[in-house]
Amino acid sequence: MSLGYIVRRLLGAIPLLFGISLILFTIVHLAPGGPLDVYVDNPSVSKEALDQIAKAYGLDQPVPVQYVLWLKSMLVGDWGYSIRTGRPVLSEIVLRLGPTMELGGLALLLSLLIAIPLGIISASRRGSKLDGTLTLVSFAGISTPVFWLALLLQLLFSVHLGWLPSAGYKSIGDGSFPDRLAHIVMPAAVLSLATIASWSRFIRSGMVDVLNQDYIRTAYAKGRGERGVVFFHALRNALIPAVTVIAVDFGTVISGAVITETVFAWPGIGRLFMESMDGRDYPMLMGLMMMGSVGIIVANIVADLTYAALDPRIRYG
Amino acid sequence: MTLKLTRRATLKGMLAGTAAFATIGLLPAWAQQKGGTLTVGLTYEIDTMNVYSTGFLGDAQAAVVEGLLAPDKDAKYVPVLATEVPTIENGGIVVSEDGKTMKITYKLRPGVTWHDGKPFTSADVKYTWEAVKDEKFIAESKDGSAEVASIDTPDELTAVVNYNTILPTFASTLFTFGIFPKHLLEGTDLNTSSYNETPVGTGPFKVTEFQRGQYVVTERYDGYWKKAENGDALPYLDKLIFKMIPDTNTLITQLKSGEVNLVVQTPYSQAKQVEGIDDIELIKGPLLSWQHLDFNFKRPSLADIAVRKAIAAGIDRNVLIKAQGGFPEAIKSPVVPVFEFYDPNTPEVAYDPAAAAKLLDDAGYVVGADGIRAKGDEKLSYTFMVQAGRADDELAQQVIIAQLKAIGIEATADNKTGVAYREARYNGGYDLIYGRWITSADPVYSVFWGTGGANNGQSYSNPTLDAAFQKFENTLDPAVRKDAAIEFQKILAEELPTISLTTNVALIAKTKKLKNFVPNPTNMTNFVDTAAWYME
Repeated sequence: MSLGYIVRRLLGAIPLLFGISLILFTIVHLAPGGPLDVYVDNPSVSKEALDQIAKAYGLDQPVPVQYVLWLKSMLVGDWGYSIRTGRPVLSEIVLRLGPTMELGGLALLLSLLIAIPLGIISASRRGSKLDGTLTLVSFAGISTPVFWLALLLQLLFSVHLGWLPSAGYKSIGDGSFPDRLAHIVMPAAVLSLATIASWSRFIRSGMVDVLNQDYIRTAYAKGRGERGVVFFHALRNALIPAVTVIAVDFGTVISGAVITETVFAWPGIGRLFMESMDGRDYPMLMGLMMMGSVGIIVANIVADLTYAALDPRIRYG
Repeated sequence: MTLKLTRRATLKGMLAGTAAFATIGLLPAWAQQKGGTLTVGLTYEIDTMNVYSTGFLGDAQAAVVEGLLAPDKDAKYVPVLATEVPTIENGGIVVSEDGKTMKITYKLRPGVTWHDGKPFTSADVKYTWEAVKDEKFIAESKDGSAEVASIDTPDELTAVVNYNTILPTFASTLFTFGIFPKHLLEGTDLNTSSYNETPVGTGPFKVTEFQRGQYVVTERYDGYWKKAENGDALPYLDKLIFKMIPDTNTLITQLKSGEVNLVVQTPYSQAKQVEGIDDIELIKGPLLSWQHLDFNFKRPSLADIAVRKAIAAGIDRNVLIKAQGGFPEAIKSPVVPVFEFYDPNTPEVAYDPAAAAKLLDDAGYVVGADGIRAKGDEKLSYTFMVQAGRADDELAQQVIIAQLKAIGIEATADNKTGVAYREARYNGGYDLIYGRWITSADPVYSVFWGTGGANNGQSYSNPTLDAAFQKFENTLDPAVRKDAAIEFQKILAEELPTISLTTNVALIAKTKKLKNFVPNPTNMTNFVDTAAWYME
């Protein structure tokens, strides 16, 4: 694993990003509607006023010209202005990034801390009642719609028990650690549920494969106890396929955040995306999606590097 | 009407009670209480607190920023920062001798201060016009700024607005939206100013915290100018909080858990759920928007009054209402019943499919082999446009298509969105169009059906109607306006360039503890009179 490899991978991502940006720009403009649709019922917003607003945001230009203009300013680090709020896209995104990192980070941590042990237990007790139960629960978790689970949790913990706030980032005038913890528990639990369920399945099947290998039998033969075999010999090898899934799932976490953040009124990137989509806020949508693309590319590079760390036989150079 | 009476009666009862107790030195706890926090749930994210550039109706803004006038619960203008609504009778409006321009004098309320304690003066009024008019300022509400030629400020409490035309709708434009504080904004860039998040106004509440995507906290402004009738300092509430909760299920959950106490835009689909919540009551408020079916007069058969009348008789509004959850209300005039200009005697075409069929038979439209009527080459087969993606409109469209089919008229959905929809609507790229308009409290109708009106994509032209609109929109005398309104409503109902179908209601879910809340139908929102609200 060398620095040269990382640099090469990052350079390779540049043409990829150009391609992605072109596709995204096209798709965003293909979607029906436009940023000025909010004024459609209001007769006092005249055609002239609409034309003037369109001109101010360059919406009067043909789409290919708009793309070139957008690309030009993006290349010099100007992300443009949000049509909805009139504020710079970059500062809006930076403002929303913090809450999303907190939520996504906690969800990721929860997922790993729960999924790995679950997968190991399932695999090492394969065929047992416990394994069967965990399998059932996992599939239930994968199949549960996020918004429905969120609603149930809100009804239980906020309306009936009154233990947790049903939505929001912090209480007004508070924002202490316990207050923020109370706000983040439900969205993080909801966001991590699907990933816990699917990751534990991957870790389980990875473990099952590995536990049937010859070198595991050898390890038992040389007198190692079960715990040692499972954690020292098997887990590292079983994690390699799981890492791929986790990296690929980075995108799922982002898209899951769109729903979770909207349901829980979490002021993050996902919610900003939803609002921008509703208002067809083109500059904001492009900024958000480009950032997401960069995130996914980076996650993939990190995954490749993690392979090498987990398996000494894998070398990049 | 009943609402008004009971409210007044209740208030009187309360005042009497207060007085009685006060004489023996015991103020009852149930009188208008000072204090308390009201948390409002908004379904949208506040984009900017600037009333001139927000893409939404200014809910939170109305509690903070005041204009010279404001529409009340009956959509009538009342003075706010002005001491009276200018009229010809009180000398506030003076029309030039040639009758082409007018001069409006606003007497400003003395003793009004901005939230930073500085006095509000006529210089602020003049600056507001200059700032809104400025081309560099991006805003969609520049209404009424181009019609002003100049503003004189002879003294601190007098603003004389010289118009370059006659603008009877002056009250629904510029100065009603809000006044900018000159001393804080002059020389700044309004597009990027911090005013857009923490505006300084003269209203009962001042913004103390704006958290993008989360909430806006407003607190009682102790220096507020208005006093209650009984002399109480206003506002009563300590805090008014606006929380932005985009998901309507979550919003209802917050009502249930008590985290939110007022929702002014309860979706029709959630009404049932809200009715089951203790301590929350659901009240209906009228809205100034209405749904209509319009015709393109370029189609020869649609220019035929018999066909339009048949279509009007073929549509059952009750089905349309049921399809939309039972909440909209049937109307017969585009002037919705809230307005004093509404004429209840406007003629009406009743639902009667048999009469519709007879009308078409008599006019020579014969049912063909495919069940569709035709007269010569002109087949009664139309393209029918609504804005694509609007579930309610698409549903109504399907209902109308089915009802027209029953009288032998074929309509085919041809829905568009965005620029395509707008272009088609302005240029008449449809045969039938179903849509919705929202007016201000001071509506203008010539833009819809006047010859060459900005929103008249129907190619409809009727000189008699134009004359009635002209009289209504260019006269300042209320009696003349009332007559003109009756006349144009009658013409519209008889000539049917448009069929007015339904008007909407706002479903407001509020805590029963909140008193003095009166729904406001106008685009100035329910938050125009927050000073008088109090919590029991």
